[in-house]
Amino acid sequence: MSARTLRITLIVLATIGLGWATYLTYVHYSGEAPVCSLKGNPCSQVQKSVYSELAGVPVALIGAIGYLVILGTLLIGDDERARFATAALTLGGFGFSLYLTYREVFTLHKICEDCVASAVIMTILMCLSVWRFLRGGETAGAALDDDGGPPVEAGTGVESAAPLGTAS
Amino acid sequence: MSPVESDEEDLTRKQRREQAREQRKAMEEAEAAGALRRKRLIQLGSAVAAVVVVVVVILIATGGSSSSGIPKSKSVQTKTANSVQQLIAGIPQSGNVLGSPTAPVTLQYFGDLECPVCKEFTNEALPSIIAKYVRAGKLKIEYRSLSTATSNAEREGAEPAEIFKTQQAAAYAAGKQNKAWNFIETFYREQGEEDSGYVTEKYLQEIAQQVPRLNLAQWTAARSDPAFASEITADAQAANAQGFTGTPSFLIGKTGGAMNQLTYTNSPGEPAFVEEAVEKLLKA
Repeated sequence: MSARTLRITLIVLATIGLGWATYLTYVHYSGEAPVCSLKGNPCSQVQKSVYSELAGVPVALIGAIGYLVILGTLLIGDDERARFATAALTLGGFGFSLYLTYREVFTLHKICEDCVASAVIMTILMCLSVWRFLRGGETAGAALDDDGGPPVEAGTGVESAAPLGTAS
Repeated sequence: MSPVESDEEDLTRKQRREQAREQRKAMEEAEAAGALRRKRLIQLGSAVAAVVVVVVVILIATGGSSSSGIPKSKSVQTKTANSVQQLIAGIPQSGNVLGSPTAPVTLQYFGDLECPVCKEFTNEALPSIIAKYVRAGKLKIEYRSLSTATSNAEREGAEPAEIFKTQQAAAYAAGKQNKAWNFIETFYREQGEEDSGYVTEKYLQEIAQQVPRLNLAQWTAARSDPAFASEITADAQAANAQGFTGTPSFLIGKTGGAMNQLTYTNSPGEPAFVEEAVEKLLKA
């Protein structure tokens, strides 16, 4: 997978996550029942539970802010620091998703499919962004080679700091 | 040595030097790549460690124990408390009765706090009835208990009958401070999933904490009053005498006069069946 394709994939995933978390934040504040196909709407019970907030802040809102910041790190560029920021933030998001899933399964004994959907998106984001960070700009160079551009040296931190849409 | 041989030897020497330089360069690049990879792994490791610390702190701060009840979030509790306040604030309460003591019509509401149909009646039909008749001093509503959903519920470590008495006594104990209806309304609004065993001591405490200005120490002390056990038994006997087997069940009549059974025709969430009966009694 070229660096560009990987970055676009991450941007798409983060945007879907942002949209989903924004919807769940709206549901939290409006008091409406969230979309849920499971019997007894456990999603509603989970999202009205005491664990739906952290220090008074809805976890859905924390998630939306998280996705927004991740999206920001993906859009600012494709250098070493941006890749690390994305990987670190998605690791944080993954840890937070693990905590919420623990609360669902072991404390509330309910599974909220809306929350699971967000956790799955965050897990994929984490895996891809960690892989992207570890491989650095190496494949970005290969991608440029494919496109006929000059090869790029890995690890310089400035190898592909071009905005998305240009050959990065 | 001929000049040609000398040239060839120089070329080979040059090639060897070139090769050695390339090998050195390749080694340096490999070392640099290895160092970069190690640096990245250390950075990721630090991020993972930081995330683990934060998650553990959150877990500890939010309590690590397992609970079968689902306590509501603060914003849900605030919303519930506000809607209950809006509904019944300013209406006189006495024990388990909501409404003016001199109201000409009395409705007895037999309910089980865990019964979802009662929740439907309380959340959907009662607000209109309270606004039109109770607030106007024309009707008073007496809450009486009848174990239905709770007695069907399976529990671990507690008999359903005991659970029913405990939760009902908790409501009646709030009535000692004339706040039984705040407790009942809050309970129905935050009712959990049937048969899930959500009514724990913690759950009851959280309901009580949402009742504005309820003295929790007095409420806790009042819960063990044996008078409530007698009241619950009397409620059950009254319900049996009427042949009530389900909740919500109703008796209605002129205050101090004979009480007649009232049943809902379409849905317990529609207030019309109560409103029509009240209108009829007011005109009689």
